[in-house]
Amino acid sequence: MLRRPLTALLLIALAAMMAVPVSFAQDDEEIELRWRTRPDNQAEIDVYTAASEAIDAEWEGVTLRYEPGGSETAAYQDVLVTELEAGTAPDVFWIPGTDIARFASAGLILNLADLASDDADFDVEDFYAGPMSFLTTALDGMDDDALWGLPRDVSAFAIYFNADLFDEAGLPHPEDGWTWAEFVEAAEEISGLGADIRGFGMNAWWANWGYFVNAAGSSFFNEDFTACGLDNQATVEGLETARMLFDNGWAIPWGSDSEPPFIAGTVGMFMNGRWATPNTITNAEFNWNVAPLPVGPSGMETNWLFWGAYVVNANTEHPEEAWDLVTRLTSAEIQGQIADLGANIPSRATDEAIELFLNTLPGSGVNNAAFVSGTTSEDVRTEAPLFFGDWPSIDEAYGTGVTAVFNGDLSAEEFAASICEQVEPLFD
Amino acid sequence: MATTADKLLQNQFTPGPDSATPIIVPASILWNLLIAAGCIFLSIHIFGLDDFGRLGRPVQYFAGVVVILPALMAVASSIMLYQRKAMGRYLALIIQYVGTVLCIVGVLHLWGVFLSFEAFVDSVMTNAPLTLGFAAGYGLYWLGGRLGETNPWRDRLTQVALLIASATLIILLLATDVLGTANYILNTYNNTLTWVLTAGAVIFGVLTWQMLHLGAYFGELPTQRDAWQGWLMLSPNIIGFMFFFAGPLLLSFYFSFTNGQIGRVPEVIGVSNYTHMLSVEFQWRESAEVTRQSVLSRGYSPLMTVNVGERELIVGARDVMFWRSMRNTIFFCMMLVPLSAIPALILSLILNSKLPGVKFFRALYFLPSVAAVVGTALIWRWLYDPTIGFFNYIITTVTGFLGLADPQVAWLTGPGVVLISIVLLAAWQLVGFNTVLFLAGLQGIPHVLYEAAQIDGANRWQQFRNVTLPMLAPTSFFVIVTTIITGLQVFNEPYALFPARPIPVEATTAVYYLYDRAFPGFQYGYASAVAWVLFALIFMVTFIQFRLQRSEAYEN
Repeated sequence: MLRRPLTALLLIALAAMMAVPVSFAQDDEEIELRWRTRPDNQAEIDVYTAASEAIDAEWEGVTLRYEPGGSETAAYQDVLVTELEAGTAPDVFWIPGTDIARFASAGLILNLADLASDDADFDVEDFYAGPMSFLTTALDGMDDDALWGLPRDVSAFAIYFNADLFDEAGLPHPEDGWTWAEFVEAAEEISGLGADIRGFGMNAWWANWGYFVNAAGSSFFNEDFTACGLDNQATVEGLETARMLFDNGWAIPWGSDSEPPFIAGTVGMFMNGRWATPNTITNAEFNWNVAPLPVGPSGMETNWLFWGAYVVNANTEHPEEAWDLVTRLTSAEIQGQIADLGANIPSRATDEAIELFLNTLPGSGVNNAAFVSGTTSEDVRTEAPLFFGDWPSIDEAYGTGVTAVFNGDLSAEEFAASICEQVEPLFD
Repeated sequence: MATTADKLLQNQFTPGPDSATPIIVPASILWNLLIAAGCIFLSIHIFGLDDFGRLGRPVQYFAGVVVILPALMAVASSIMLYQRKAMGRYLALIIQYVGTVLCIVGVLHLWGVFLSFEAFVDSVMTNAPLTLGFAAGYGLYWLGGRLGETNPWRDRLTQVALLIASATLIILLLATDVLGTANYILNTYNNTLTWVLTAGAVIFGVLTWQMLHLGAYFGELPTQRDAWQGWLMLSPNIIGFMFFFAGPLLLSFYFSFTNGQIGRVPEVIGVSNYTHMLSVEFQWRESAEVTRQSVLSRGYSPLMTVNVGERELIVGARDVMFWRSMRNTIFFCMMLVPLSAIPALILSLILNSKLPGVKFFRALYFLPSVAAVVGTALIWRWLYDPTIGFFNYIITTVTGFLGLADPQVAWLTGPGVVLISIVLLAAWQLVGFNTVLFLAGLQGIPHVLYEAAQIDGANRWQQFRNVTLPMLAPTSFFVIVTTIITGLQVFNEPYALFPARPIPVEATTAVYYLYDRAFPGFQYGYASAVAWVLFALIFMVTFIQFRLQRSEAYEN
């Protein structure tokens, strides 16, 4: 006879637990804002959660709910886009710099220009100029000023090098101003240390091969980002140099994830951004450090300026508060807390912020200055959202062609000769 | 046509013409008329909307017309209820039951239940240790039940069990802030809609319940009662199917004729998506001096080339990636079927024997089929790694031992290898499932056939060739059909196996391509068209296979 009361109790308990979610009630006067980032690990989630709680505690009338989004491989943007279409997306969210244009063009994010102009504390000059130039780009046919968000952080590439392998090969450690000739020599010498050792590794996305063509003097786009810019000899030179590394077996094959073998100690040099530093500190069991990217045939220090931005949902019910949240999340104080993780560089280009970053990861010996110099290189190319073209399709066409070059199915000359004609319909 | 027994039963169940009309009947008639009026009002409202959830005018008008249907049903039901016809009751039941479900769903939505599912999971995880109290209570109850009925400890243990479970419930309710929850739910009643939906749920529910009990009044036969009870049991699935499958399916068909993009209201563009996707042209390239691209019309890109003597025939397509993805998908299927069916057949033959430990191996081989694809794909990504992967380690070791050149296979990047890498992973996952199917087929073959074959002097191979294979034909057909359909829909493997985006062209399958157009590309209208072309292909392949099997069956 007791079975029924017990079953009833279990059902009531389950119902009670199901009902709990709705108890995230707020007072009528309180405004609830949801915001989201794409953290790479639990440590980042913890820092963002703490930052959210700190802002929440001092902000009267607003309750914050921080939602850590899925990781890069868990289709962060796919979930976000679905929620935006369904009307359930958070009020404020982070997106990569390359996505700004298509989110803005699709009307998914709010133009914050008017809100910013009313904000006496806000100054565009506080942030890196590159990202801000894209974030203030007006859409075609738009008469008003534009401000699509504020950059959360910036990053740049550097060469993570295995100092033990350099020493074993009798090579000097890479330093500021080292050249492609020295870089290629190091890749070859280190590869000669053993059948399972490779001199160089990079991952297979646009910025990696992009560095080679940029450093050779080419560019993805023309000056005003309205057409392809790869139809030149510099593209050929850059791609051939990278292809030579693959053909000779001096590099991890194109398309493979180079991070695990680097961490395993079988790769001499690994090109990656600041975001890879915490994992390397944690897992690498060899002596390593970072160096600026080598100087290519263009004769200039070349790098990418990667960035992502906090933007406001176009359908938010609380645009003023959402803007306020964006400015609070990009304040020097909050950026300082997040920079302490060592995964990224504050997006504020002030001396204070740079100093703050240079002092992160104390005791690790990591050459933080290599990343700062990357963001201020002579030829720094800002990760560019394409306002006048279909970037995902162009990225796919570029990537397919470059992969064909690296796999030996297409010559670099053929690629340079045909790629701009191929992607021309993809520009507005 | 009703049988004589049914007619007899009907007479038995039909009350006389002077029996009193239950109050629920006029109440239902009134309610139905209100619903009809409400639906007509809603339809007019829908037609008058400026924006219909960014779905476009056709969906708006379609919805406006669909809303009229319950109004017509309600009017028809009212007339028939008045005439005391059984059909009127069934129509009323459908309206009232669906109304109850929709109102309850609406109320739960307003209570915030659906949007808080993650918080629910967190809540369950946070409070999971507390539920051990229920386990303890149930354990004591079970222990008490093991004691004899005259044992005084029996009642004491059951009472203690109830006490522990009740205490656990109270603690759990306090821990989960049940008062806050109740407060929140009460606050939702500041919204008029919550009241309307709650009242609707109650009225619909009461009417449904009462109407269910009016079988005798309407002369319901036991067979008819069984029928509606069956439909009632099926209703959760039917309602779910209509809302979560048939509806989206219809919507995707509509989207395939639009320029639907994320964030924009779609506009109907006819069959442009289909023509863009399927357009191809053939051009000759007379000289190597000109690029292949330049001989094609604007908007076309080279898809493939064929050398004919001195000249080169260039096949161009407006959507090259679509054709490549279809080619990859077809090649994938062609490799997947033998690689997942033949090993499965061999394994099933081994597992069908009476070897020791065979049950363990049956479970073992089935494991890959139940493992999450994303997890296994990550493991296979490591196995395929060209520098630290296990496969290349084995190849290097073997070739080194034999003194051969190490091919250094680029499993996930080599243009000729990428698709094979995906097939190997998919086949590994499917083999276990196909093995179980073959095993079931083998166990269905009558043993007397083998005995007869043995008497006729057939050896093992001849038995397999002339008994096992023909008798397994239906199973083999099922395995091949399901494997081809699985193969044509492959998505998870290429999605999870390749870390970089975009994934290699050779790994882009049709479903991955439509995902790529819909999500990263924002073009869900075009992606819907790709989905429907893929559906047509799957339908065609399956239809041909069924026809072939039927004709073979007739021949046999």
